[in-house]
Amino acid sequence: MALLVVPACLLVLALLIGPMILMFRISLNQFSPTQLMMQALSPDNYIKAATDPYYQQIILATLGIALLCTLLTLILAFPAAYWLGRMESRWKSLVVIATLFPLLVGNVVRSAGWMALFARDGLLNTVLMKLGVVSAPLEIMYTTKAVIIGIIAVVLPYMILTLSAVIESIPRDLEYAAANLGASGARVFWRVILPLSGPGVAAGSILVFVLCMNTYATAVLLGGPRFKMMAPAVYDQFVRGNNWPMGAALAFMLLAVTMAFTVFGSVAFARKYRAG
Amino acid sequence: MAQLIIEKLTKRFGTSIGVEGLDLSVNEGELVALLGPSGCGKTTTLRMVAGFLPPTSGRVLFDREDVTQLPAYKRATGMVFQSYALFPHMSAADNVGFGLEMRGLNAAERKTKIEEALKLVRLSHLADRLPRQLSGGQQQRVALARALVINPRIFLLDEPLSNLDAKLRAEVRLEIRALQQRLGLTTLMVTHDREEALTMADRLVVMEGGRVRQIGTPQELYDSPVDAFVADFVGRCNILPGRRADERQFRTSGGLLLPVDVIGGERDDANAFALRPERIDIVPGDAGEVRGRVQAITYMGAQTEYVVAFGDETLVAVRPTPDAGEPLAALKPNDSVSLQWDRKVPRLVPQTSS
Repeated sequence: MALLVVPACLLVLALLIGPMILMFRISLNQFSPTQLMMQALSPDNYIKAATDPYYQQIILATLGIALLCTLLTLILAFPAAYWLGRMESRWKSLVVIATLFPLLVGNVVRSAGWMALFARDGLLNTVLMKLGVVSAPLEIMYTTKAVIIGIIAVVLPYMILTLSAVIESIPRDLEYAAANLGASGARVFWRVILPLSGPGVAAGSILVFVLCMNTYATAVLLGGPRFKMMAPAVYDQFVRGNNWPMGAALAFMLLAVTMAFTVFGSVAFARKYRAG
Repeated sequence: MAQLIIEKLTKRFGTSIGVEGLDLSVNEGELVALLGPSGCGKTTTLRMVAGFLPPTSGRVLFDREDVTQLPAYKRATGMVFQSYALFPHMSAADNVGFGLEMRGLNAAERKTKIEEALKLVRLSHLADRLPRQLSGGQQQRVALARALVINPRIFLLDEPLSNLDAKLRAEVRLEIRALQQRLGLTTLMVTHDREEALTMADRLVVMEGGRVRQIGTPQELYDSPVDAFVADFVGRCNILPGRRADERQFRTSGGLLLPVDVIGGERDDANAFALRPERIDIVPGDAGEVRGRVQAITYMGAQTEYVVAFGDETLVAVRPTPDAGEPLAALKPNDSVSLQWDRKVPRLVPQTSS
């Protein structure tokens, strides 16, 4: 039976681990504007990524946006996930497909849609001005707001589906029992539904957090040229600056930060869950 | 404890009937069981009393207070669920304390009451266990303690024994009944198990298709069922369709004449003869009024079941298993026998086609 996993393992080894080792080697090289990559074995790129305020700022912004988006997504997804998880209609599978439907549209195309909506003379501003809600067009395009809205729109389906699977597995009788014992709707939520949704909250948040950390197209298209997140910064180093060593080092920084937070989150959650 | 009154309670799901015009009152300290096959509306009724389901029409009253519009969490009913519905992330003690916490009791008050309640169900030593670390019977007792600790106005039991194995069931049945009587709990119980209903309830409500068929004490329902459905549902029963021949006899559709005293009060639409198997005596030979041939003999331990054929029709008789030497002990299939019974015992009932 163990032999069955061999093909998948070989694939991962060849296409993921291999390039990563290569990338790590590159990240220890040096860059010169004239000769591009020079062989070396130095941690300079990592030191620069960790100490240069320019890169620090990008890492912090990426982390901040990812955490904020994860939290907002969780809050937005929960009611929908609850509704979906408790749904008994025969249309349920249709609703699940509808939830997944946005994922059929690529991030670039979707972001283009948001651009049309958010632009100064875009749909949103036109409608709001016509209705007299605002007198001057809202500046949404090329702001952090636009990026956050765009990211949440991408990751929301993942969170909803992860949460609803867990909520579905919470017996309805537990809600009835809590109500029977005197718990109002809000207290049923805080004392029964939310604690028992823990594994779904953890899984969904990790999934969404990782997706947010690695946002590329949404950040570039909705954030504009001055807005910086990690994934676009890595791209810039490789393609625009031809600085492969720095790009590789940044990529590993991104990986390290993402993993650190994911592991930290899981451990903290596991401890809390065991205690609670 | 309070009196529970249900008035013209109706629940329709779209066009299908859940419960139709149910009238029932459960007196203080009384245990009433709703009995019927699945889909008869008994669980729907219980859920409306608990407030989980809004009725289409009708009223639910606790001690003359109309609670029909009151949300479940304000009704102060104590319910034991079929699944027990213990909170899996809370210890036994925290499960029991949940209702007290919702009522705003502080930790010290809660602790005392939790201890009392767990003692009542003999689980004090397992207070810190999580539900998954408890056996089915222990979980059931935690659920019981959790429902009782809040001093419910009405005690509700939803198939409380169906997840226990047979031996434990008999034990818990007596335990719940004793507790209910000792604490004087006004109780509405739902069950599809007639033995459970007969042994635990002061009164039974037999339901079918969302409607009440009969309300009465276990004995009334057992001995004087109003129709063939009730006769069959509360215990094994021979039911033979046909019609009355005269004041002293019933003619089955197969032409068999059966002795019965018409005592008056039979319904006009009575078209079936109902007689419980243990009410029938068997006499070997063909001297009696109702003569047939033994078709099958089934030994069931303390009792033995005899299927006696009369042409196409059969009657089942259940007798204490005879000792060797008794006339019945020698009986074999195909032997001729006569059946007799007290002619006041059989009931003539309508057999509804449902």
